[in-house]
Amino acid sequence: MTADVITTNARARPRARREPWLDWMVLPTLIVMAVVVGYPVVYTILLSVQDYNLLDFTPANYVGAQNYAKLAADSVFWQSLLNTAIYTFGSVGIAALLGLVLALLTENLGGARFRAVRTLLLMPWAVPFVVVAFLFRYMYLQNGGIINAVLLWAGIINDPVPWLNSAMLALPAVMVANIWAMAPFFFLLVSAALSAIPNEVIESARVDRAGTWGMIWHIKLPFLRNPLLISSLLMVISNFNDFAKIWAMTQGGPGYSTSTLVIYVYRLAFESFEFGYASAVGVIWLVMLMALAWLYMRALRMEKR
Amino acid sequence: MSTATKISRPRLAPGSIVRWTAIAFALFWSLAPIYWMLSTSLKTELEATRLHPTLWPEAPTFANYIGLTGTSLPFVAFFFNTVLSCLLTAVVCVVIATPAAYALSRARFRLAGTVGYTILAFRMLPMVVVLAPLYLLLLNARLLDTGTGLVVGFTTFGLPFAVWMMKSFVDAVPIEVEEAARVDGYPRWQILLRVVVPLIMPGILTTGTFVFMEAWNNLIYPLTFITTMEKQTLPAALVLTFTGQFKTDWGGMMAAATITTLPLMIAFFAVQRSMVRGLTSGAVAGA
Repeated sequence: MTADVITTNARARPRARREPWLDWMVLPTLIVMAVVVGYPVVYTILLSVQDYNLLDFTPANYVGAQNYAKLAADSVFWQSLLNTAIYTFGSVGIAALLGLVLALLTENLGGARFRAVRTLLLMPWAVPFVVVAFLFRYMYLQNGGIINAVLLWAGIINDPVPWLNSAMLALPAVMVANIWAMAPFFFLLVSAALSAIPNEVIESARVDRAGTWGMIWHIKLPFLRNPLLISSLLMVISNFNDFAKIWAMTQGGPGYSTSTLVIYVYRLAFESFEFGYASAVGVIWLVMLMALAWLYMRALRMEKR
Repeated sequence: MSTATKISRPRLAPGSIVRWTAIAFALFWSLAPIYWMLSTSLKTELEATRLHPTLWPEAPTFANYIGLTGTSLPFVAFFFNTVLSCLLTAVVCVVIATPAAYALSRARFRLAGTVGYTILAFRMLPMVVVLAPLYLLLLNARLLDTGTGLVVGFTTFGLPFAVWMMKSFVDAVPIEVEEAARVDGYPRWQILLRVVVPLIMPGILTTGTFVFMEAWNNLIYPLTFITTMEKQTLPAALVLTFTGQFKTDWGGMMAAATITTLPLMIAFFAVQRSMVRGLTSGAVAGA
C-alpha cells in the first residue's frame, strides 16, 4: 500500500534503480529520531504502568492498569479533554473560515496591491506564540485593557468584563487570540490553492454565466476542499499541542476552565512530578492523536491520486 | 482573463465597496494588536496601565527598550541564547534531513514508504508526551540546563518536519539533471552535494527558516529543560519574569515582546515567497 503510493507519486523515477547505499542516507535521521522520539515514546508507555514520582525516594513500582483506572474517574482529565476539543476544533474551524473568506475577497486584487495586502494580513502569523499570549492578555485587562475601554466607550457594555478571570469567558477569549494568530495560515494556503485552479475552468464557468456565488460554491469550493481538509487536520494536530498561548495567558485557569490535555500533563509531570500518571494521560492522548494522524495521512494519499 | 475582468468590472462596482470594507476590517483586525504592542512599548509604565488607555503615546520614549539592557535580568543573554539555539537547531535539522529527503525522494528501496510515513507520524506526536522521558534522558546524559540539551529537544519536532518539507523540494528536481553527473561516474553523495543541493537551496533556506520559527515559538522545552535564568530563551524568560518584574510594567513587557517578535518577522518576510511554494507543494498539501 505504501509502496504503490511512492511509485505512483514518482514523477521521473523509472530510471532509479535499487541502490542500497541510498538507505544509508536516511540512517542519520532514523538514528536521531529513534533516540529523541522513539525511545521517549516507549519509555512513556513503560512509565504509564508505574507509580513513578520524581519526588519519591522509593523506587517506582509496577502498578499495572492502576493509572488508567484512576484516569477514568478523574474529572479534571475529562474536562481537559473537552476543553482540548473545544479549543482545537473551534479555533481551527473559525480560522479556516476566516482564511477562506479573506482569500476569496482578495483573490482578484491583482499584482502589487494583492502582495501588499497579503503581506499585511500575514503579519500576525509571524508573531511568536508567547507574544500573542501576552499581547492579548494586556488587551484583555479588566481595568485599563483596550478591549474593555473600547466596548465601554461604544456603550456595548456597562461594566468592564473580566475576560480571562471568568471561568466562562476565558476559553473563548484564549481562542480569539489563537484564531488571530492562525487565520493567516489558512488565508495563505487558500490563496495559493485558488491561484492553482486552472484558468479554463473559471473561463468556461464564466461563459456559462455563473454568478459570484455559483462560481464560489460550484466551481471554487470543490477545488479547495482537499487543501482545506489537509491543512485543517494539520492545524488540529498542532493545536492539540498548543502550550505556549494557553500557558502564558491563563496557565489553564481560572480553576481548570482553560486547562487542555497539554496543560494538564505538564502540570502533573512538572508541578507534582507524577511522571507515571502523567504518562498514562499521555498514552491515551497519543492513541487519539495517532488516529488523527492516520486520517491526515489517508487524506494526503487521496490527494495524490 | 483580462477581457473577462474588463467585462465584469462595471458590475462589480457596488460589490467592490463591500469588498474593500471587508478588507479594511480584516486589515484592522490583523494589525491593530501589533500596533498596540508597538505603541505600548513606547509608553511610560504609568501611561501603559492607565484606566483610559491613550491611543497614541503622549510622550514616546525608548526608555523601555533601554531598560531591557540595564536591568538585573540579562535580556541580551536571553536574546542570544534564543538566536543561537534556534539557528543551531535549524542547521542541524537541515544537514541531517537533506540526505534523508534525497534518499526518500529518489530511492525505491523496499521500506521507503514505511520509513517516510514513520517520520511523518513522529512529526505528529504530542510534544508533551515525550517531555517527561526526554527530560529523564537529558538528565542522564547530563544535558539538562544546557544549550545542547535544548537543541536536542527542538530537534525532536524540527527534524521530521524538515525531512518532509525537503523531500517535496527534491521531488521537484527532474532526475535528468543528475544524469550527466552520473554518466561521468560521480558518486551519489557528490551528485547530491554538487548538483541537487545548489538547485534546492531556496528550499533548504525555507525549511531552515520554518524550523527556526518553530523553535522560536517553543515555550515548553526551554521552560522544562533550562533551570538557570541566564541560560533561558526569550519566550520562557517572558513567562518567568512576568510574574516578577513585569507584573505591572506593561510598557517594559511590550518592549520585550517587540524584541522577541522582530527576528521572527525578519525571518518570515525573508522567505515569504518561497514559503508559499514550500507550504502548498510540500509539507502541508503533501507532494
